[in-house]
This record gives sequence, structure tokens and C-alpha cells, in this order.
Amino acid sequence: MTIEKTNPLDNILSTAQSLRWEIDVDFHEKLTESIYTDAAQIADRATTRPEEKPRFDFDRTLDKIITSKTWGFPLMLVLLMIVFWLTISGANVPSSMLATLLLDTGHPFLKGLAASIGMPWWLDGFLIDGMYMATAWVISVMLPPMAIFFPLFTLLEDFGYLPRVAFNLDNLFRKSGAHGKQALSMTMGFGCNAAGVVATRIIDSPRERLIAILTNNFALCNGRWPTQILIASLFIGALVPAQLAGFVSALAVVGIALLGIFLTFLSSRFLSKTVLKGEVSTFSLELPPYRPPRIWQTIYTSIIDRTLVVLWRAIVFALPAGAVLWLSANVIIAGTSIAGHLINFLEPFGLLLGLNGVILVAFIVAIPANEIVIPTIMMLTVLVSGVTGVGEGAGVMFELESGMETMALFQAGGWTLLTAVNLMLFSLIHNPCSTTIYTIYKETGSKKWTWIASLAPVIMGFAVTFVVAQVWRLIESLL
Amino acid sequence: MTTNTKEACETCPIHDAAALKKLGVDMAEFDYVVALAGNPNTGKSTVFNALTGLRQHTGNWPGKTVTRAEGGFEYGEHKYKLVDLPGTYSLLATSLDEEVARDFILFGQPDVTIVVVDATRLERNLNLVLQVMEITSRVVVALNLMDEAERHGIEIDDRRLARDLGVPVVPMIARQSDGVPELLQAVSEVANNKTLSKPYRVKYTSPELKRAVEKVSKEIEAAYPELPNAHWVAVRLLDGDERIVEALRKGELGDLKHGDLEQRSANLQVFGNQ
Amino acid sequence: MYNPLFALLIAVLLTALGILLFTPERGAFWKWQRTRQLTERVLREDALKHIYHCENHNEIASIDSLAGAISISTNQAAEVIESLQELELLKAEGARFRLLATGREYALQVIRAHRLYERYLADETGYDEVDWHQKAHQQEHNLSPEDIATLSARLGHPTHDPHGDPIPMSDGTIIYPEERIALADLAPDTIARIVHLEDEPESIYAQLVAEGLHIGQEVRLLETSPKRIRFLAGENERILAPIFAANIAVIPISEEPVEEILPGYPLSEVPIGTEAEVVALSARIRGVERRRLMDLGILPGTNIEVEMSSASGDPVAYRVRGAVIALRKSQAAHINVSTKA
Repeated sequence: MTIEKTNPLDNILSTAQSLRWEIDVDFHEKLTESIYTDAAQIADRATTRPEEKPRFDFDRTLDKIITSKTWGFPLMLVLLMIVFWLTISGANVPSSMLATLLLDTGHPFLKGLAASIGMPWWLDGFLIDGMYMATAWVISVMLPPMAIFFPLFTLLEDFGYLPRVAFNLDNLFRKSGAHGKQALSMTMGFGCNAAGVVATRIIDSPRERLIAILTNNFALCNGRWPTQILIASLFIGALVPAQLAGFVSALAVVGIALLGIFLTFLSSRFLSKTVLKGEVSTFSLELPPYRPPRIWQTIYTSIIDRTLVVLWRAIVFALPAGAVLWLSANVIIAGTSIAGHLINFLEPFGLLLGLNGVILVAFIVAIPANEIVIPTIMMLTVLVSGVTGVGEGAGVMFELESGMETMALFQAGGWTLLTAVNLMLFSLIHNPCSTTIYTIYKETGSKKWTWIASLAPVIMGFAVTFVVAQVWRLIESLL
Repeated sequence: MTTNTKEACETCPIHDAAALKKLGVDMAEFDYVVALAGNPNTGKSTVFNALTGLRQHTGNWPGKTVTRAEGGFEYGEHKYKLVDLPGTYSLLATSLDEEVARDFILFGQPDVTIVVVDATRLERNLNLVLQVMEITSRVVVALNLMDEAERHGIEIDDRRLARDLGVPVVPMIARQSDGVPELLQAVSEVANNKTLSKPYRVKYTSPELKRAVEKVSKEIEAAYPELPNAHWVAVRLLDGDERIVEALRKGELGDLKHGDLEQRSANLQVFGNQ
Repeated sequence: MYNPLFALLIAVLLTALGILLFTPERGAFWKWQRTRQLTERVLREDALKHIYHCENHNEIASIDSLAGAISISTNQAAEVIESLQELELLKAEGARFRLLATGREYALQVIRAHRLYERYLADETGYDEVDWHQKAHQQEHNLSPEDIATLSARLGHPTHDPHGDPIPMSDGTIIYPEERIALADLAPDTIARIVHLEDEPESIYAQLVAEGLHIGQEVRLLETSPKRIRFLAGENERILAPIFAANIAVIPISEEPVEEILPGYPLSEVPIGTEAEVVALSARIRGVERRRLMDLGILPGTNIEVEMSSASGDPVAYRVRGAVIALRKSQAAHINVSTKA
């Protein structure tokens, strides 16, 4: 049947092809013009508009303020600060409650339960110390801030404010070859890079969307803030008198976040000039009318849509990470654990970068979730430095209540100020977590871009820490 | 009850079950499939939620629904599957979104396509309505955001609009579920062939274009008398749309009757996967 | 402990080496790859193209002109000519040579590949106009007939390349446009439309692009002299040396009053709060971007109201058919409008 029909079809095609030579050049233009002309006519016949424009137009008045040269940027900063402040202060209490429930109470309870049913130590260690602890850790650090940040963000989005932010910031992003909407995916990245990568869907230009995906990692995510804050307060804060310590360490953390933004622009520009040169770029940005957000529905749907989806993926990746961590600390080969072998192997490279073997291994183990970097470092430091009296055994992550104890542990691990600074830098500039990598693969559908997004930041991180370490040591040797 | 529905639907559904399956829509428990199209930011997702009761996130962003949402509803004696298409300004397949929406309407052959329209920006939205009507005559226009139009002092004569377009037009305020029963009624009438649509055809302003389209569509009508949208196919051929050529060659557009399904669905896999 | 200075030096050296080797286009590695690709087939195809162009322009192709055109030695050129003769693509008639029918067809296929690929670059990639020719020049030798057929289908069987040259059809026929003439040959005060910008040599083409000239643009000649050619393009007066103007081909358009032909002025210059009517979208907006703007309803005859500028001044929001749409200055500059009195 199809074969019979081939002949008339070929005739039709050749007619069409020959006619195309007559009309080709602006076919699309004439076509859209015709459709829009008819649409306008029909719309006109059915619509009666008010005689004169209303004197007060809410949308226009609001837009005048939001996009004004004087008020546009300050307003944006204030709103951003409010969102961050609400997230940080609001997440503190539920986060520590979750930690108490899942880590301090849940863990011993499960251990007791396992002992009472006579579970062998290795199974109990593998399941509870390994898998359960890692997952519990990720949930208690990640869930509360995300459950606050995302709904707030969604409310601003539903109201129609965020497209105006993209509108105001586009000039800045255009200069590095990116799209103004990247401001939003980047801000989203401060909550979670995986969510930030998904948020790039609003960018409809292929090149700019890829740029936004590949650079989202430089937005310091929720899972990395705790690392930055802890290290800054222990090492940077200690450099200045006690009354200034809090302020200076906060400044250091903000400095790292700003460095991340700077790197976003830098690498966006680099990407658009090199590997992404040939990708199509189009710009259009619609500024929708303001609409009152429906608060309860927004909270409900943004928790379902964003928070739980991202959390679920994180859990899926944290489970095996916990298992690997526990196994690497407990499987002994030739007198040393696997983790010990790996640390010894990476130690020289780590030292060259101004870090150490423990930190590098911790970053490898923590690929699934940045939240567990610090507890992993502490566990591994105890493992290799032979410090006694702290920790809960090989393969069990922990944190110490007091800064003094933590500091003592790090010093026993041979840490200096350089180690701390480079750890902060490397925590900003390293590969995205596996949830994000998976999301990048899903969003781009390309192995090539996924590889670039994963490897380029690690290489950059190595380069930056390497240079900082050498210059640091050079200055030290001169002094 | 079950037998009842089955008998009723031996004659009624127009949709192509196998093709839909390939497009990822499971029609096992449904009688009709309804596609939901519309410009970005017209409250399309709100209409979706009002019809299905699902709480899909409805962001104030152009082009929000990138992944396709699906839901179901019952009206009268029939079960309807509702498929939310990406919000687009046009169906000329410039972007991936537009291609997805276009392919669904073209190859999925939904029994009804609801086009959600923003009453305050009628002209811009009718552009899409006219394009959808070129592909299928089984269209219902949901004239949404009537409250905003009223606030801006805009009056819309929906009966005049329906007459001009040649398809049912239902004014609504989806946020408050106003107009939902009327929309359901209109959808069921189109699905059950109780409404006869005479969709408006775009007039081409450029004489060369008009002549070319007429010439090609005449040839198409002669070769494929059963094709419902010869006019549109002619335009696509003149625009050099290779996928339409391929679809014609494989007989995917050839007829709307059942039968020959296996061959057609095998062809559709190519489209469904993209 | 090692010496940190030493480590730094090694790292700097390695980076420098990496940059020297792998800088896109200019890196030593890429250069080496290019010379490796310069096979006999490439030489033959380039030679066929050269002779084809010479015949088309009624110029005489010689071994010297060939050597010059594709930058090889005269000895190499002679070898290439010989191999073309052996393949029966070419016939020598004393010092000059002529393409045989097969050779002509072959040359047209290479040209087809080149122009199709340029069309592809223009419509479906973000590469700059100036890069098109070089890229197409590399690809024309690598595309198999199947690749070319697929590419043509994917682009919707385009008829012209982005410089305005017709693309030969798959059977080798080529339809040349109506009588077009060089810009310099226009009589003063005539109005004409640019239909072709020659993309070789690259330096001249780059200059034409930099001047903002493009296909479809309407120009009005003001003065020609052996030293310079002065003409109006849009509202701006331009002056080109004859060697540049020679690469612009135009078709004169009927004697209409000048006011109606000048395509207004750029949307980017319309002040905020004013209404304007679109006259035309310049050809500089191409491919997907052009289609996108049209789908948004920005078409000749559309009313546009300049709504507001962003806090940083650059994207400006316009009210188009009811929706507020932000466009960058670089886009608005290529939308020509007229304001109502």
C-alpha cells in the first residue's frame, strides 16, 4: 500500500520543491504574517477595549520600581538576603532536631536493636554504621534548608518577580555569553546544584542553557556551606582577636561564595568562546503579568516537586556511599584498611596541593553527597593518625561538639592554615556531587557534556590549590 | 457497564490507540484522549488541575511544563485521559517544545485538543489556535483569565469568537474553577461527534504563497483523499519539513481510520522516542 | 621538602606547552591534523572547484592560477592536473584546460556540499559569519553523498547559501538568479538590493561583514570613482574601496521614491514610552533566532510599544501584541521600525 503511494507522493514533492524556488527566501515570514494578520482580525472583531487607558496600572507601576536604575538592584539584594536569612535561621532548629533524632538517638537505638537480635558485627556495621549513618546525615543537613528555600523561591517565581530579576541582570550575564535567567538557576544552585541544573530548563537558548548547566557547580550549595563555616571559624577566625572572630570567618565564607560567582562568570565566558562557540544562541525573555501567588498550594507543590525529588535522589546516592565508606575503613588488606592504603597512595599528591591524603579520599568518598565531607575527614583522620578517645570506631562518621576538640584532631592530622584555606577552595572548586552529575546527564542527554561538567572543575580545583600552595610555601620560605 | 462502554466506543474514539501508546500514553482504561495546548503563561496548568484535581506545579514562567503531565477525568459515561503539552507560541517546530506539541497533535491524533487562551492577549493566543486548527478540527478553545480581562476593562464576545473560529469557545476563570462544567460539556460533545466544527482557514496574504499552497494541496487531496489537513501538509512540504515527508511516505498521515495499526505504530516509534 | 618555585615553573611550562599545542585553530596539534587531511582527494576537489569558477567567470584557468588559488607549488599543481586528466575529469588543450562533463558534475557536488554546510552553519549553529567559509571548506571534502542528502533534507532542501549563492541540486543542476551586477557598476542614484556577498578572500568578506552589510539590504549608490565607492545603506553612508565593492553583487530595484525604500531606523533607538511599527527584520537575524522572533509576533506591520528598560539599561522590554517581551540591544538594532507621526 505504501509502495503504491510512492509515486503520487514523489510528484507532490517535486511540485513543492520547484515552487520553493519561487517563494523560498521569506517563506516563514509570509506564513507567520498571514496567520497573525488573521488572528488580529478575529481578535479585533470579538474584543471591545476600554475607550482610554486606565490611569493607574498596577503592573506598570510595580515594574517601574522593580526595574528602575535606583531601586532595581538594592531591592533584589534585600530580597535575596531575606530569603537566605529565612533559610539559614529557619533551618537551624529543625536541622539540629533531625540530627538529635536520627544520629544521636536513632543510631544507638538501631545498634541496640541489632545487638538484641544477634546481628553479626559486620552486617550491623555495614547497614547501620555505614548506610544508615550516611543517609541520616544527608537528610538532617539537607532537608530543612531545602524545605524552606525552595518554597520561598517558588513564591517569588509565582508572583512574577524572578523574570524581572533575569531582566535586570541580563546585561551582566550577556557579557560572559550567558543568559540573564542564569541568575535564577545559579541562585537555585545555592540551595542545591541538582535543582539548579533542573532550573536551567527555563533558558530556551541551547548555548546559554548549556553554559548554565556546566557552571552551576560554582554556586556554593547547601551541602558545602557547613564545611566552609566550620573550617573558617576554626582556622580563619583564630587569626584575629576573639571579638572579631565571628565576623572575619563569616567574611571568609562569603568571600568563597563570591569567588564562586566570579568563577561562574569566568568559566561562562571561557565556554562561550571555546567549546560552545558553535551552539545556537537565541534570546527572548517574556515578562509575565504579576499574579498573586497561592501560598498553600505553592508550598505543597514545591515540596513535592523540588524538595522531595532532590532529597530522594540524594538518599539513593548516599546509601551506597555509606556502605563504601564503612567497607573501606573495615576491610583490612596486609595490615591496613583499604582507606589507609588509598590515603597513603594519595598523600604525596595531596601534600603537593597543600591538602593531604585524608582530604582527597574524603572527597572521593563524598562524591555522592558533599554533606558528609567533614564527618568522613574526621573519621579517616582518627583512623590514620591513631588518636584515641575520639570517634565511634572505624567507618562510623561523627562530629565533635566543641571546636577545641575538632581543632586538636585536625592538628593531630598535621593540618596547617594552608590546609584549611585550600580545603575551603577545593570544596568550592571540585566535581559536582553524583546527584548533580546524574541530573546533568538527564538534562543534556549527552555523555560529552556530563564528562566536561564533572572533570573540568576538578582540574580547576587542582590547579588553584596547587598554585596557592606553591606561592604560600614560597612566601613562607622567604619570610 | 464495562460492556456498555466498550460498545459505545467501538464507533466513537477517533484516536489512534497504538500510536498513542508509542507516544507514551497508556489508554488501557480510557475512552478518549484529550490534549491540552496553549501559550506559555495562560493558566494552562491551572486548567489541567481544575479538570483532573491533580496539583501540578503551575509556575508563572513561560515554558514551564517541559516534562509532560498526564491525568484523567470522568464525564458522563466516558473516561478521558488528559495530556498537558508544553506551552508554545507557535507550532512551526522551531524549538523542541514546539516539536513535541506538534507531534502529539499530529501523530497522537487526540480526540479533542483544548487550546487554553489568555483573554487579555487574544491576538497573540489566536496565532496558536489557528495553527492547531490547521492540523485538527477537533478543537475546543478555553478562554481563560476572564477575570483579568474584566479588570482591564476588556470585553470579549465569546459567541462571536466561536462563530468566527468555527469551534466551541468556553469562557472560564480556571483559578476559581469557573467554566469547568461548560468546558467538560464542550469537550464531550466534540469527542462524541455531537458538535460539527467548521474551523477557520488562514488566508494567505502573499499571492505567490497562496498560489503555491493551493497547487500543492490540490495534488495532495487527489493523492490522499482521506487526509483531513491537506492544506496544512502542503504548507509544511513547501517549508521543506522532512518529517512530514517521511510521515507521508510511511502512511502515518494517510488515514484516520483504524486498521493498519501495527505498521503505523512501528513507524511512530521514531517520533515517540525523540 | 621540594622547592615550590621549581614546582611552579614546571607547571607554568606544561601549561604553556598545552596552550601552544591545543589552542583552537592555531594550536600546533590542530595544524598538524590539517596538513594530514590535505590529501590528494582534497587537492583534486579544490582544483576542480577552481577551474569550475574560472570557467563560470570566463577566466582562463592555468597551472599558475591553480597554484595561487589553493596555495601549492606549481609542481604540485601540475601533478594534480595530471591526475585529473587520468581520471577523465579534465581535458588539456595546450596550455589551458577544460572540464569534462564528469568533472563539472564532480565540482558541482563539492560546491553543493560547501554551500549546504554553510547554510547549516548559518541556520543551526551559533558560529560567526566570518567562520562559515573556513569550516565549510574543511567539511566539503569529508561529507559523503549520503551525508549531503541527509543534511539537505534536514535543512528542508534550501535553495540558497547564506551568501546568496544558489545551491546546486542533487542532480547537478544549478539555477542562477536574474542578472545581478557589481555594486560599482550601478549608475549613481540607483537603488538596489544586495543579493550576494562574495566570501572569498576572507579578509575582504570580514570587512564587509564588519561594515554591517548583508543580503537583502537595500542600498543607494551616491558616487563612484576609481578610488572609492560611496553609497547609502539604510540611513548610514558608507565608503568602500573598489576592491571591496567588487565583491558585492546587487539587483537594481524599480524607480520608487527613496523615502519608501529606506527601511526605517533600528528599534533600539526608539525612546521608552513610544510606539513604533516594524518595517523589516534585517537579514542579520537569521536561523532559529529569526523564526523565534517571528513566532513571538514581531513581523512587518506589527505595533511595538517600548515599555521599559532594565535596571542595567540593556535588555529593553517591548509590548508586542499584548505580551511584554525583553530584547537585547543587539537584537533590537536589527529590527527596523518607523514611528508614526
